[in-house]
Amino acid sequence: MRRSFALGAALLLAASLTGCTVGGGTDASGGEITFLTFETPNLPPSYWDSAIKRVTDKNPGLSVKKLVAPSTDRTGYAKQLLQSGQFPDVAIAVDSAGFAESGNLYAWTPEELKDFQFPGANPIKGGHHQLPANTQTIPPIYYNKKLFADAGITSAPSTWNELLAASEKLKAKGITPFTIGGGKEGFPSAMLLDGLVSVEVYGKTPDWLSQRRADKVKFADPAFQQAFGKFADLVAKGYLDKTQVSRDYSATEAAFLNGEGAMYPMGNWFAASADAKKPPFEIGVFNFPSEDGKLVVPAYTGGGIVVNAKSRNLDAARKFALAFQLDKQQIDASVKADGLFPAIKGYTPPADVGPVFKAGYELYKEAVAKNAVVNAFSWETADDGLLPGMKDKVYQAAQDVITGRRTVADACAFLDTEWAKAR
Amino acid sequence: MGRKPILPRVWHFASFGAPGVVIYLCFVMAPILISFGYSLTNHNPFSPPAEFVGLENYRLLFQDEQFLTALRVTTILTVIVVVVPNVLGLGVAVLLDRKGWLYNALRSVFFTPVILSSVVVSIIWTKLLDDRGPVNDALRALGVEHPPGWLSDPDLALYSVASIVCWQMLGFCVVVYLAGLQGVPAELLEAAEIDGAGPVRRFRAVTWPLLAPSLTINTVVLLISAFKTYDYVKVVTNGGPGSGTTATIAFDVLATGLDANHVGYASAMAMVMLVIVATLTTIVLRFLRRREVDL
Repeated sequence: MRRSFALGAALLLAASLTGCTVGGGTDASGGEITFLTFETPNLPPSYWDSAIKRVTDKNPGLSVKKLVAPSTDRTGYAKQLLQSGQFPDVAIAVDSAGFAESGNLYAWTPEELKDFQFPGANPIKGGHHQLPANTQTIPPIYYNKKLFADAGITSAPSTWNELLAASEKLKAKGITPFTIGGGKEGFPSAMLLDGLVSVEVYGKTPDWLSQRRADKVKFADPAFQQAFGKFADLVAKGYLDKTQVSRDYSATEAAFLNGEGAMYPMGNWFAASADAKKPPFEIGVFNFPSEDGKLVVPAYTGGGIVVNAKSRNLDAARKFALAFQLDKQQIDASVKADGLFPAIKGYTPPADVGPVFKAGYELYKEAVAKNAVVNAFSWETADDGLLPGMKDKVYQAAQDVITGRRTVADACAFLDTEWAKAR
Repeated sequence: MGRKPILPRVWHFASFGAPGVVIYLCFVMAPILISFGYSLTNHNPFSPPAEFVGLENYRLLFQDEQFLTALRVTTILTVIVVVVPNVLGLGVAVLLDRKGWLYNALRSVFFTPVILSSVVVSIIWTKLLDDRGPVNDALRALGVEHPPGWLSDPDLALYSVASIVCWQMLGFCVVVYLAGLQGVPAELLEAAEIDGAGPVRRFRAVTWPLLAPSLTINTVVLLISAFKTYDYVKVVTNGGPGSGTTATIAFDVLATGLDANHVGYASAMAMVMLVIVATLTTIVLRFLRRREVDL
C-alpha cells in the first residue's frame, strides 16, 4: 500500500515536472516537419492547405504538419514555442531578429539563395536566415479615383506640396483625405509616418537606422524631427480623423473600400484585397511623394521561410522551405492571395492579376530599375532594423501626435528614451 | 487496547492532500519562485546566459516613467472596477430579489455576460464603441454632431475599458448579493417592520450588515481580477491610444517580456504586482472581515 502510494506520488510528480520542462526541440515524429503559418482574410486555412499539398505532392518524401499562430503576431507566438521547447521546423513570415543571433535559425548558403533576386536582404551578423521570398512596398498610397474627381483633382500627387494641395481640396469638399486605423494592430496609424521617414530620412541617409543603432544619430535629431513634423502637419490641418486610431486593420480596410476616405497609405498587400473585393469605384495608386518629387520607394524584402537550425529533420525542412518558396504555382497563388511581389529571378506574375496589383507592381518595377528603393521604416527586420519592442513604440508615438498628447519634439524624445530601454 | 499507530493516519492525510499540494507547488509556487529568480537577472531568452544583477531591475523600475504610468492606469481601473459593479450589483440584486418569472429571466440576463469569454466581450464592445459603431450612430441619430471617441480619445479610453470590465463583472456581483439577500432571515426584517422601521432603515440596519460577507467576496474578487487585467486591454486598445493611456501593469509585463525580450525586467514588474495585490487583498480582507456579523 505504502509502496503503491509512493509510486503514484512519484509518477504524479514526474508528470507534473515533465509538463513544466522547457526545451527539447521539435515534436515532429519520424520524417514529419512542423510548419508554422498564420491566417488573415487574404490567407485563409484553404490557402495554406493547398500550398502545403502542392509542395508535398511534388516531393513525395516530405510530410508536413501545419501549425497556425493564434493571431497575426506569429513572431510572438514563435517566441512562446521556442521557450516551451516546441519551436517549429519551419516558419513563415516570422521576424528572424533574436532567433538568428541566438543560433536558432539555419543560415542559408549562397548556393541555396541563387534563385532569389535579392539574396543579400536582411543580413543578421553576416548571415541570411530568412528566405528573401518577396518584396512589399510600404506604403504606397492607394486612392479613390471617384473622390479625387469629385474634388477636382486631375492627377496623382508626386510632390509633398501636391499631396497637401490635393488633401486641402478633398477636405474642402467634406471628404476625409486619409483613411487611417490603429486599434489592436497599431501599424495602420503609423503608415504615413513610416512613409515620411523612409522617403525624407532614408532617401538622404539610407543607413540611418544602422547609424541609430551605433548611436551616431537620434530620433530627436533635426532630420527625423522634420519628417515627423510633416506628419504632425497633416494632423494639424485636419487631414486625418483622430477618432480612427481605435479602428482595427480589417475595419480600416473596409472603411476605405466603402468610400470613407480618399487616400489609404498601406502596404502593397492591400492590392489583393482591392482586386478581390471590387469596390464600386476605381482604385489608383501612387508612390509616397517626396518633397521635390524625387523617386524614393520604401520597400521590405524578406518575409519568407525560416528554418529551425536545431531541427531533427533539417534536410527535410530546408528542402520544403526552398520548394515552397520557389514553386511557380505557389508563387502565383501568393500573388493572387496576398498581393506580394515575388523576389525570384525571372519570375513574371500571371497575366490575370487584378488592375490594382498591376498598377502597384509597375511602380515597384520602375523603382527597382531606377535604383530608388530604400528600407521601409519600422518594417526592417535585420541588423538595420528597430530594436525588439520598438515597433509598438513607433505606433504609440504616432498615435500620441494624432491625438494631441505629445508634440513632435516630445514624441521623438519618447522614442529615444524607449530605445535606450530596449537595448 | 493500545494506541493506534500514528503512521497510517499520516499516510491517510498525506495521500488525501498530496495531489493538491504537488499541483500547487508546481503550478503556483514554482513559477513565482522562478519569476523571482529571473527578476534578479538580466535574462533575455535570445542572449543567454543571464547575469545576476541583484536588485537593479527593481531600482530601475521605480524610475521608469512607463511603469509608473502603468501603475497609475491600473490603480484607476481597479478603483472603478471595485466600486462600480459593487454598487450597481447591490442595487440590481435588491431590485431582483423578488419572486416571479420576470425576475428569474432578468437574473439570467444580468448573469449572461459573466459566462462569456472576456475576449469575446472585448471584441463585441470594440465593435459597439467604434466611431462608426452602433453607439455613436445612435448618438448621431439623436443629434450629437461629434460623438465621443470612446476608444480613440486618450482621456476616455481607460474609462471605456473599465466600463467593459464593469459590465462583465456586474452579473457576478448581482449573483453574490442575491445569494446574500436570500440568507437574510425574514423574521428579522418583519421584527424591524413591526418596530416601525421603513424600507431604507430596514435595509441599513438589518440587510446591509448581513450582506457584509457578500461585499467581502465581491471586493476581493474584483480587486484581484482588476489588478491583473490584460485581456480586455490587449483586445480593445492594445495599450493605446498612444503611449500609456490604457496599458496596465499586466499588459506591460507581457509587452516587456515577450515583445522586447526583457524577461528579467518583466519578472521584476510581475513581482511588484504580486506584492501590491497580496498587500491590498490582505488589507481589504482584514478591514471587511471586521464588519461581518454572525447570526
